[in-house]
Amino acid sequence: MEKVITSTEKQRESENENQVHERPDGHIPDFQQIENSAGFRDLMRRKKRFLIPTTILFLGLYLLFNIVISYTNWLDATFIGDITWAWVFAFSLFAMTWILVTVYMKRAEKFDEMAKDTLKEFDYDEEETR
Amino acid sequence: MNATVIAIFVFIVGITLVITYYAAKRTNSASDFYTAGGGLTGWQNGLAIAGDYLSAASFLGIAGAIALFGFDGFLFSIGYLVAYLVVLFIVAEPLRNLGKYTLADMINARFNAKKVRGAAALSSITIVIFYMIAQLVGAGALIQLLFGIDYIWAVLLVGVMMTIYVLFGGMTATSWVQIIKAVLLMVGTVILSFLVLKNFNFNILEMFAQMKTATPHGEAYLSPGVRYKIPLDTISLMLALVLGTAGLPHILMRFFTVKDAKTARSSVMWATWIVGIFYVMTIFLGFGAAAFVGSDLITSTNPAGNMAAPLLAQALGGDILMSFISAVAFATILAVVAGLVLTGASAFAHDIYGQIIKKGQATERQQMLAARYASLGVSAFSILLAIFAQSLNVAFLVSLAFCIAASANLPVIVYTIFWKRFNTTGAISAILTGLISALVLVSLSPSVMSPEVGAAILVGDPIFPLTNPALLSVPLGFIGGWVGTMLSKEKDLKKYSEVNVRANTGGFRQL
Repeated sequence: MEKVITSTEKQRESENENQVHERPDGHIPDFQQIENSAGFRDLMRRKKRFLIPTTILFLGLYLLFNIVISYTNWLDATFIGDITWAWVFAFSLFAMTWILVTVYMKRAEKFDEMAKDTLKEFDYDEEETR
Repeated sequence: MNATVIAIFVFIVGITLVITYYAAKRTNSASDFYTAGGGLTGWQNGLAIAGDYLSAASFLGIAGAIALFGFDGFLFSIGYLVAYLVVLFIVAEPLRNLGKYTLADMINARFNAKKVRGAAALSSITIVIFYMIAQLVGAGALIQLLFGIDYIWAVLLVGVMMTIYVLFGGMTATSWVQIIKAVLLMVGTVILSFLVLKNFNFNILEMFAQMKTATPHGEAYLSPGVRYKIPLDTISLMLALVLGTAGLPHILMRFFTVKDAKTARSSVMWATWIVGIFYVMTIFLGFGAAAFVGSDLITSTNPAGNMAAPLLAQALGGDILMSFISAVAFATILAVVAGLVLTGASAFAHDIYGQIIKKGQATERQQMLAARYASLGVSAFSILLAIFAQSLNVAFLVSLAFCIAASANLPVIVYTIFWKRFNTTGAISAILTGLISALVLVSLSPSVMSPEVGAAILVGDPIFPLTNPALLSVPLGFIGGWVGTMLSKEKDLKKYSEVNVRANTGGFRQL
């Protein structure tokens, strides 16, 4: 009796596995439905809330730097010793890059989680189909 | 040159050949050939990106530019680094989620049209060829100086090595050559920086104080404006640098060598730290060369200043360090050109032959053969061009490649990922407008036309005033894409939903 149950269970398991594997090839999911799901929309809202302001910030500061050094002498004044403000601005652009990369890496973990939840909700497990 | 340099040189070449031998055994499919089977880890790919990105132009060019022009030389370092934020925030993850081997794959995940693929392949090939000639011409001149052999033999030496790596070892060999090169380059730069700092008593303030009087520029050396005096020209060049990286096909291709978007992201993080630390050290290299070698000797050895770093090594560490730094420069060149050959080959063999001519029906064997023939073809063609292009200005070719990448590739990438209404006509017109406007504007610019005989390719007053046209050609690329889209009624919102979901979740990749 036990044996029978195990074998049917195994069968069912392997069927499930097959379904998951076949799904992306055979049946085409409704992407508009996924796009409009609460989970996906929340993911996109959070991504945009992070990416749009930070992109404007870093491109803006970068362009500002180039405009200021090209058109003015403002940054020729010295900061400490003989180090001019131009070097200080340049290094803050380096620091900005590293800080934004680090912050994004942290945020992206949350985005990954949300993406995974969305996929699970629509019966797609990325780990298994890989 | 002496026995030490030959020994170090033979050692590095030997190691890369051993790697190629093992990589060849593991290169059995098109996926192995183009993406090393997609099995690289984040730090491995991060190092390889750094190895692919930090070309001789970065190592020798920026060190020389800082030595000769001070702060203005450092501008390149800033642009090249901030560019990684564009790569990380906008391009890396969607590219990995949508594409397979090439940029055209990613755009075609949305449009699946031969014309779009053809246009994308064309812009990739154009960028690769300009970049490759720049690297080979630079390599030829450099090896000529380092080892005292003829320009033609120097180009052939680099050309044969790059062909061997790619032909037999594909992406696996190329990646490991790039990883080793990145490590060697960092070690060499750290040693040089340490020696420079030691000579300034590890005191940054003292270093700046001494630099005020160390060069013919005096105090101006430490401020912007020594080299770039025309504001719009500077801004245009800096725009090409910051936006171009995210459209360089050989950098984009590196994101297909990892298994998913998460790893692609962590490889950008690694690359940003490595590349950034390297660029900080370019200051020490440049200042050191200006202070301890002197601008007279630097310019008399090579007018563009490319020999500043090797000369600095000679001055601070003698023959052995000079040999090591020369070998590092050689490895640097090899790693970059190998990546370029592979990228050019992928556009020909995968995009044009495999997808357009064979409609994606080529067998694994046909794909491998095509990839190898294309690698041979790209190598042979660029070696030939480089031999005839000896007199071209390397820095100009590199900045042109960045400008085309920013104008032709970035708009179409951004629209494909973010713009719902974007369509096939828009994709083609975005790529072609960016590509053609960059090429036409540059050929009318002071880089190509000069009233002085012999100063540029053509004699005459430049019609377009900017040396790098990015300030105009990038907006033109975006406008071209918009106009093309609006002129056509075609729109496929369903397909965009698919692309949007796939790009942002990483799911449904087999579709």
